[in-house]
Amino acid sequence: MTSTLPATFPTLSTLHEPHTEKAQENRRAMEAAVADLKEQVATAAMGGPERMRDKHLARGKLLPRQRVERLLDPGTPFLELSSLAAHGMYDNQAPAAGIITGIGRVSGRECMIVCNDATVKGGTYYPMTVKKHVRAQEIARENRLPCIYLVDSGGAFLPLWDDVFPDRDHFGRIFYNQATLSGLGIPQVACVMGMCTAGGAYMPAMSDETVIVRKQGTIYLGGPPLVKAAIGVDVTEEELGGADVHARTSGVVDHYALDDAHALAIVRDIVASFNTEKQLPPGMAEAEEPKYDPRDLYEIVPPDTRTPYDVHEVIARLVDGSRFHEFKALYGTTIVCGFAHVMGFPVGIIANNGILFSESSLKAAHFIELCNQRKIPLVFLQNISGFMVGADVEAGGIAKDGAKMVTAVSCSVVPKFTVVIGGSFGAGNYAMCGRGYSPRFLWMWPNARLSVMGGEQAASVLATVKQGGFASKEEEEAFKQPIRDQYDRQGHPYYTTARLWDDGVIDPLDTRLTLALALSASYNAPIPEPSYGVFRM
Amino acid sequence: MQKSRNPHHIPTVLVANRGEIAVRVFRTVKRMGLRSAAVYSEADAGAPFVRMADAAYSIGPAPAAQSYLRADRILEAAKALKADLIHPGFGFLSEDASFGRAVEAAGLAFVGPPPDVLAAMGGKDEAKRIAEAAGVPVLPGYGGDDQDDAALERAAKEIGYPLIVKPAAGGGGKGMAVVRREDDLLPALASARRVAAGAFGDTKLLLERYLPAPRHVEVQVMADAFGNVIHLGERDCSLQRRHQKILEESPSPAVDATLRKQLTDAAVALCRHVGYRNAGTCEFLVDEDGILGGSSGGGAPRVFGFIEMNARLQVEHPVTEMVTGLDLVELQLRVAMGEALPLTQEDVTPTGHAIEVRLYAEDPDAGFLPQSGRLLHLRWPDEARVDSGVDEGAEVTTHYDPMLAKVIVHADDRPAALQCLSAALAETEVLGLRTNLPFLRTLATDETVAAGKVTTTWLESAYAGWTSGVDDNPVPEPAIALAGAAEAARILAGTAGPAPESGTGAVPPRDRSALDPWSTAGPWRHLEPGPTHVIVQAPTEGTSPVSAGERLVDVRGRGPFRVGDAVLVQADAAHEPDGTGCLRSGHGWAVFTGPEAAEGTRAAAVATPGLVHVFWAGQPYELPLGIRPRLVDAEGGPAQLGAPMPGTVIAVKVATGDAVERGQTLVVVEAMKMELEVKAPADGTVSAVLCAAGEAVKKGQPLVALEGAAE
Repeated sequence: MTSTLPATFPTLSTLHEPHTEKAQENRRAMEAAVADLKEQVATAAMGGPERMRDKHLARGKLLPRQRVERLLDPGTPFLELSSLAAHGMYDNQAPAAGIITGIGRVSGRECMIVCNDATVKGGTYYPMTVKKHVRAQEIARENRLPCIYLVDSGGAFLPLWDDVFPDRDHFGRIFYNQATLSGLGIPQVACVMGMCTAGGAYMPAMSDETVIVRKQGTIYLGGPPLVKAAIGVDVTEEELGGADVHARTSGVVDHYALDDAHALAIVRDIVASFNTEKQLPPGMAEAEEPKYDPRDLYEIVPPDTRTPYDVHEVIARLVDGSRFHEFKALYGTTIVCGFAHVMGFPVGIIANNGILFSESSLKAAHFIELCNQRKIPLVFLQNISGFMVGADVEAGGIAKDGAKMVTAVSCSVVPKFTVVIGGSFGAGNYAMCGRGYSPRFLWMWPNARLSVMGGEQAASVLATVKQGGFASKEEEEAFKQPIRDQYDRQGHPYYTTARLWDDGVIDPLDTRLTLALALSASYNAPIPEPSYGVFRM
Repeated sequence: MQKSRNPHHIPTVLVANRGEIAVRVFRTVKRMGLRSAAVYSEADAGAPFVRMADAAYSIGPAPAAQSYLRADRILEAAKALKADLIHPGFGFLSEDASFGRAVEAAGLAFVGPPPDVLAAMGGKDEAKRIAEAAGVPVLPGYGGDDQDDAALERAAKEIGYPLIVKPAAGGGGKGMAVVRREDDLLPALASARRVAAGAFGDTKLLLERYLPAPRHVEVQVMADAFGNVIHLGERDCSLQRRHQKILEESPSPAVDATLRKQLTDAAVALCRHVGYRNAGTCEFLVDEDGILGGSSGGGAPRVFGFIEMNARLQVEHPVTEMVTGLDLVELQLRVAMGEALPLTQEDVTPTGHAIEVRLYAEDPDAGFLPQSGRLLHLRWPDEARVDSGVDEGAEVTTHYDPMLAKVIVHADDRPAALQCLSAALAETEVLGLRTNLPFLRTLATDETVAAGKVTTTWLESAYAGWTSGVDDNPVPEPAIALAGAAEAARILAGTAGPAPESGTGAVPPRDRSALDPWSTAGPWRHLEPGPTHVIVQAPTEGTSPVSAGERLVDVRGRGPFRVGDAVLVQADAAHEPDGTGCLRSGHGWAVFTGPEAAEGTRAAAVATPGLVHVFWAGQPYELPLGIRPRLVDAEGGPAQLGAPMPGTVIAVKVATGDAVERGQTLVVVEAMKMELEVKAPADGTVSAVLCAAGEAVKKGQPLVALEGAAE
């Protein structure tokens, strides 16, 4: 139990020169990107238009962010997810997709919090709202996090019903998840703080334990107009599905609250009754600041993903004491693997340092097996333009070596965390645990770019395969430029994060703590024994 | 004192006492280069006086009867610690002649008068007789053995009215009665005899002239074993509450040179007469109303009567020390070690004016009930002498006297001294339990006190029903902000985790959760830090009727803390003169003091789980945290409590308008052979009674309507 392992990891050295013109150029670019990110996030965090917020407050309700704040243990972190969901979509009518999701401590227990924002179109579900809600439940499932739903929603956003209602991962999936999560022993708690209409009525009904706020929360399958139309009866909202109906007569809710503050206090008491405890790993050590200032990251990371740099400089600014026990340092050097600690948590780090070759793939696959055997979570630092191409490497079997890495990543059972710190292109995205490979969390840095291939390559490929070719250089350029523009726009982190291809865009300076909080939360779920598919040899 | 004859032997002084007086004595003992020895009860282990002593000895459990009153245990300690002198302090065994004898029998020096003198001066009645024999004026009275009604009536006529009847064997005021007219005497005697027989088994009564509004003036004396007796002037202790002295001063504003000479001559004469040794105090009542036959006008000398002698150091001795510049404890110790007084009467030259007030752990808003609890924060004034035996963090129990400290000021004259006193009290801060500090502050600026016109009964009439107002007044905004910041400090101190030490390796499972970033990261949010939110209960307007009295305080930072636009607290340094504060953790609570930037007012706040103690603008506040209990009801207006089962109302125990407490039975319903009590779910007021006894009720039928707790 008193291993001195961490102290024996050697400290990385650095070649970073802070005062060069290049470093300052990089800094200015990253500062501008982070400043813009803050502005975008702050705007989205406001929620709906001012008149809607005023109306909400005038009813004596807390704003959704206030609700989340009051629910959390005071003085503890909140790991918010996808704060720029639906960014630039739906004519910008759905900031943050009208829903707040994130992991926070409630009564000493990490919980997944899902909170509707009724100031955004009455809290109705846009396609991205559904996706964000379902993603939150997926994270809850993988990490065994109790779910708390602060419900204030009019149900599906009807004009877009075809992207909200019918498919497997649409609205209905929310209730399927509630049932199956509860079945796994992951508590489901709903707090009805506003409307809970139609399908939404199932949110409390499908929960293990429910709270409702008097004269504020309503639960019904069909509202007064629908009742009037269907059976010709006049009925008020309160009579139909108010707190008194459900707490005293129907039994749909279990706890009756007088106001938001009261309701949140009851939810905290419910969580306090869960009687669970997470198991932190035996290799956990006391946190240590990196030896090198993480603020150097702004100077080290170039704005253009095509500019190469040594990823050891990044690792040295993310891990405890800048200590790194590197694996196969001399072999397959375009990928860097090794053990370290992030705020006390043992991790295995896999970081790109160039394009992937056969050797680098084999090295990474081996290292992933090591981490699975030792039950050490994996952190992928993605900056990859893809696998090497050409006759020599194909003949050398790069496809089967790449497949070994993809198999290892796919069948890995330890928690995986991916941070896209630069480019994320093509099959490199797969091998480095892209969204399709179920990392527990995936974050983008503001300088990151993601696409099936680079814009320039895509334009060239499309130009090459175009029937008839081009009459002039100018004509070819006129053909290629819109393709480059499209790739630039769609590869931008705001575009990816708006569509929930990641869990958020983060400031590089927040990476350590973001990873640490996620690592810690992951220990709410036990790590199973690994079992791999066939490795093509 | 055989041991002290060896010039290389350093005498050891054992203090058979605790708290403030033990600290006071040790201070002199240390200054004189002597060794100090403490005895302590289990409750005092670790108290400042124990830590201060060179050696210490545990003498028993907390109750004084099992520790500080156990002469045998104290002598055992004296032997074990090789003590040469025993200083009894005041209270406890200080006036117990048998203890003095036992000390001397053990070959030690008793820092007090010869035990026989102590015994003689110990009984009030005998002391009075001795005083009379020494030619000291006493209050006219009768204590003869002839206890016939006729004899007592004759004596009463001689003494004059009003007079006081008291059982000779009595104490604590039991059986005492003031008789204002001759007609009332016989009934009073009968009544007093009845009480005396029942309470003390002795019907002997004493008669004494009663002064309705006297001044309490006492003379400090000092005498050695060689017959040298000097006085150190007088003290005025007229400001009393139920015989408990609150403010003492020297010189007395009521004593002129003529009276001073009479009083001090009388005191010195009495000491010479009895062969007194040690520090002592002769207490007199001074009659300013002409009751004793003196003239109150025309500058004629006022008349006084001796009441008792305290053959020990007094609580209020510091005022004498301040005006004379002498150390009374040093004089006591020198006399006890067999030395002659190092000064004569001519050497005593009092200068200026000194005032002492006693800070008690008593709630002035609850009938001055003694308080117990932890002293979460203490701050003493810079420009005053403070004699205290308690430290910040100490637990104050009700085992001993509730006095926490004495604050003593000294200035050129009385008005200046009162001004110093006000200033000193304004700088005094105590948090964790209620004290009489607000009351002392009020007294320090009282006009009658300033005019020097108080008598021993003035306080009780002038301040009958006085309250500090702290429970009624709205809580000022800065106090609420401070409460929020203090709680944030407490929460965040707890989240700081163990000090990071590099390379300490893996940690055992038990300690891992303390390293968890969810516990240590504070209110972190993406891109910018969030607030630490605190709900402070304070009687202010709320956003809704339900949440009235609750304030949501968002605190930013980890110190200094920000609430709204104001930087409230500069953390880091403890009790610095510039007003910056400290933030401590590790005791389960955090402390800080600091200036509120805008107003430059000193403040302090200490958060404990569920409750914050705040000092703001001279007032202490205790503010609960978290949401107030909600009274769950049906209609949103008054709560209607329904019948729990169908049955018959057999009793209605409240009426409309009654204030009820949580759990109080309102109505009793009989159903299925059970008597079911319908109780108040929370404190509130009955707004309507909706049933009557004998009425048959259905399940859920409203019985009583309740309004929430009165705001």
